[in-house]
Amino acid sequence: MPDVISAVRIRPLDELDVDGIVRIDEKIGGQYRPETWERRVVFYLRRDPGASQVAEAGGRVVGFMLGDCRAGEFGLEQPSGWMERFGIDPEFRGQDIGRRMFDAMCAHFRAAGATSVRTLVSRDDAAVGGFLRAIGFGDSALVALERKIGE
Amino acid sequence: MALKVETRGLEKKYHDAVEHWTRHNFKDYPVLLASWDKYFPQDEPFCLCAKLELGTPDTISVGELKGEKKRLKPGEMSESQAQHLLAIIKAQASTEFGSIQQHAGTVDRARDDEDKFWVLRVMAEELRHGYQMLHLLLSEDWSGVSGGVTGEQMVEEILSMTTGSHVLDSFNLDYDSFVDNIVFAACIDRVGKYQLTMQKVCAYKPMADSMPPMLREEAFHLAAGVIPMRRWAQKAAAGDPFVTMTMMQHALNKWVPRGLEMFGDERGGDTNVKFGFKDMKNGEAQALYVEELKKMVRDVNARFLRARFPEYGPEQAEQVLAELERTRDVHRGVHFSDLLRVPDVRFFRRKGENAFRMTGLDGESYEDADAYLRHLAANLNDGYVASRDLRNYAEALREVAAGTKTVEEAVRAMPRLKRVGGSCPCSKGVRWVMESPGGGQETVAVR
Repeated sequence: MPDVISAVRIRPLDELDVDGIVRIDEKIGGQYRPETWERRVVFYLRRDPGASQVAEAGGRVVGFMLGDCRAGEFGLEQPSGWMERFGIDPEFRGQDIGRRMFDAMCAHFRAAGATSVRTLVSRDDAAVGGFLRAIGFGDSALVALERKIGE
Repeated sequence: MALKVETRGLEKKYHDAVEHWTRHNFKDYPVLLASWDKYFPQDEPFCLCAKLELGTPDTISVGELKGEKKRLKPGEMSESQAQHLLAIIKAQASTEFGSIQQHAGTVDRARDDEDKFWVLRVMAEELRHGYQMLHLLLSEDWSGVSGGVTGEQMVEEILSMTTGSHVLDSFNLDYDSFVDNIVFAACIDRVGKYQLTMQKVCAYKPMADSMPPMLREEAFHLAAGVIPMRRWAQKAAAGDPFVTMTMMQHALNKWVPRGLEMFGDERGGDTNVKFGFKDMKNGEAQALYVEELKKMVRDVNARFLRARFPEYGPEQAEQVLAELERTRDVHRGVHFSDLLRVPDVRFFRRKGENAFRMTGLDGESYEDADAYLRHLAANLNDGYVASRDLRNYAEALREVAAGTKTVEEAVRAMPRLKRVGGSCPCSKGVRWVMESPGGGQETVAVR
């Protein structure tokens, strides 16, 4: 594992981070999906520039956390931060990079008037669920519901 | 989601003047507003207003006045400081409105609606940025340093400017195709990002407070350039006959030299730092800009290679890219020249320390002006090659090469937009002028 913890810089997402994010996603999931991330990066830069964060080491993106602050959805009039996608290069895990990105994202959300951050995670995804709880997420009064409507 | 931002409008007559300006220069503005929810669902609606960030530092952080309270009114600055800042604000304003006029010429030629509406949003936000600068000019009294020009006259001057039009028989940098809309956003808006970032520290607080909201919008503008370039690279690699890397390269060759010059002379910028208006000198910011362009181009090239060789993983594609950059050779039918590259910083320059040096795209030197002009013609798009702008440049270059003009005289001989006038805020009374050796002006075209 590279000893780079002190050299990892957290900064807001920009349009030149697409390649780094695509690379991490491919490393984790095995699929090359540039179109997906091009769309998502534009979306977050458009919606709430400054909210999404990346971790950079040696000029390369080694982690990303995408989200935005919004209000008016699901009857929530108070602005809420939403953390929607994140990924950390497997070689850089265990170095508190996720927490540092989350802290930077929360600072942005607070400045926008949010008092809470929300996210959704699959019950089956113990790794992601564990990470979220480790950075302070707990059960929400809101419950995610779903109904199949296919044939 | 808005951060802690205060929004302000201009006095009605000025607000109306800006809206009136859009009728002549941004005809798709109502179309954009009507289609906003379709293309930007759930985004905040567009607001033609000035936005001032709250809670920014009160203390000057750079320059001779470091540590002092930021100035809130022009009268709190020295005369030279206020004059300098006034020039910056006016220049910024004219750039914002000017880019809309450039985009408007070719935005309808976009290949798909998404690209078009992204550019329309960029234009609307540039309109807001121009509005923001007008707010700075009108919200305080600059009469002490404006040479008797009133706020109203300054607004009239700015709204009368045009940065190029196919009707205008003069020097201009019109867009030649929608490729220019995209590459301009990727390269020239990037210069804008640097200027805004540097000005976040501005010793004049209303200027500093104006920067963060503009910068947040600028983030999308850069994406509206870079993402289509990436998609075009993918299409080019897949063999789309209408999308080529060459067309993007030619646009880079057109815009990057002008972008470099927007930083000002590489040797200058001390006054901005001394006065506490910016935190970097011209050359420092320009060097960072070049590095960012290289990163952008490298990513686009990687996208091209991955699309051309889908069996390659990221490491292999990177190896191939590095190998092509090193050898300038060929890999399985892909030549180095098929990829994009950032032109040498001395290429096609007409201002700054590299003006009229006859340096080629890859840094090679030319001794003969006509050989150099042929090199330019081969590396710029046909529409631009046939333009008056290039003709003027060629004339000046030949004179420099022949020794009948100094570089300084040639730099001055490049026509540029100057003082305009007229009673209507959207007057067409624009002039292209060349500065005479005595500092006077000679009008070369009037619309």
